[in-house]
Amino acid sequence: MELLDSSVDLQEVQKLEGHADRVWGLAWNPAPHNCGGASAMLASCSGDKTLRIWQMGPTHHLDCSTILEDTHTRTVRSCAWSPCGKFLATASFDSTTAIWKYVGGDFECVATLEGHENEVKSVTWSSSGTFLATCSRDKTVWIWEVQPGDEYDCVAVLQGHSQDVKMVQWHPLVDVLVSVSYDNSIKVWAEDGDSDDWHCVQTLNEGSSGHTSTVWSVAFNSSGDRMVTSSDDLTLKIWDTSSAISQTDTEGFASWRHICTLSGYHGRTIFSAHWSSEGVIASGAGDDALCLFVEEKGNSVEEPSYRLLLKKEKAHDMDINSVRWNPKDQRILASASDDGTIKIWELREIS
Amino acid sequence: MDPKSNILNDFLEDSVLLDESQYQEGFKDGYKDGLVSGKEEGREVGLNTGFQVGEELGFYQGCVDVWNSAMQIDPDAFTSRVRKNIAQLKTLIDSFPLLEPENENVQEMMDSIRLKFRVVCANLRVKLEYEGQPSSLNKDSEDM
Repeated sequence: MELLDSSVDLQEVQKLEGHADRVWGLAWNPAPHNCGGASAMLASCSGDKTLRIWQMGPTHHLDCSTILEDTHTRTVRSCAWSPCGKFLATASFDSTTAIWKYVGGDFECVATLEGHENEVKSVTWSSSGTFLATCSRDKTVWIWEVQPGDEYDCVAVLQGHSQDVKMVQWHPLVDVLVSVSYDNSIKVWAEDGDSDDWHCVQTLNEGSSGHTSTVWSVAFNSSGDRMVTSSDDLTLKIWDTSSAISQTDTEGFASWRHICTLSGYHGRTIFSAHWSSEGVIASGAGDDALCLFVEEKGNSVEEPSYRLLLKKEKAHDMDINSVRWNPKDQRILASASDDGTIKIWELREIS
Repeated sequence: MDPKSNILNDFLEDSVLLDESQYQEGFKDGYKDGLVSGKEEGREVGLNTGFQVGEELGFYQGCVDVWNSAMQIDPDAFTSRVRKNIAQLKTLIDSFPLLEPENENVQEMMDSIRLKFRVVCANLRVKLEYEGQPSSLNKDSEDM
């Protein structure tokens, strides 16, 4: 049933407490069956320097099964699962990125990626499982290649942003990387051939209908032909990224372009946005609210447009730092906040 | 021409001229001393800066030398990626304009060298750091 046709509600189904400081990031395991058979597994990282793993048991409730601590010496800012679900990368303000491997019911730190000069802000795993990318306040983006034996080689250091890089995200289908920054721009990076020659193929800034303040997050839809970015300028922007799928090399990289700007829905910096496999965009902001958007179908002639599906005011008591849809259950959304809690929501249709 | 006013003018002229000449003499002495002291100070600053830059570059050059020696003993010691990175680092060091302290690109070039060095270390899985200088790390950390 088309979501647009019905009335919907976002129902809070669980509140996860335990972190001793603000929760910065969330990541749902894309293949939890590879990690002991749980039906759902959520990783959360916090200012309390730990990472928590929450697993769904038979009661359909998430319980904290593991706390990964005593590794990072400062805030853990971001976490990401490998496509096979057996590895978890955690990025920290202590300037390192740790790689954890699921071994016999527990997680073991098998590698530490060092190189950034200061706080690492984000880590992302490519869908091919070959690459990892990290970004930092040192304005650089590092690309790492997975080697046999849990080894990681730095294959490129990308310079170009003039300020703190807030987030990096791989395209869901091809090895193209996007980075967003305090310098208000969005940069697209791709490899020329196979020679570690990565360079910036496009910069989306104010001139390209881009953001006019810090860009905090970026997310692709599941088909990889659309991308959403959120910013301190209080808007969400939707971009057409369909050329990424038809591209085979960087020679004639066809530009990504702006499709739509969503403004007036949040009164504070929008820290996070995520696209469900069903096409619902969730956003979380400093106004403590959660918003959901869907594409307005019908006008096939004009530019695609998006409309607000619902707004949940006071979803949390403080800033919302991250929102993530469960890839295995497209109506389940998790949100993390400065208030130290994680909330699990269910998108329900009401008659 | 009033002989009386002439005498008056000449009388004043001497004191004015005296004032002028004293100033000129003082200025000449001060300039001479300032030149000497300025050169001395400049020399000291140049020595310190030159030492710092030389020491840091020397550190990286030393590491490159050791790595190259290791590769001579065992050509397979490092992966081709690491070998490429070390070669790139060497090129950067070699092209650093040591004798052009006023070259406006020196800061950028030094930053490139530092970055390339960190990549080599990351791929060699070693923790090496040039300790001699306060690093380019900002002391105040942003908590976002």
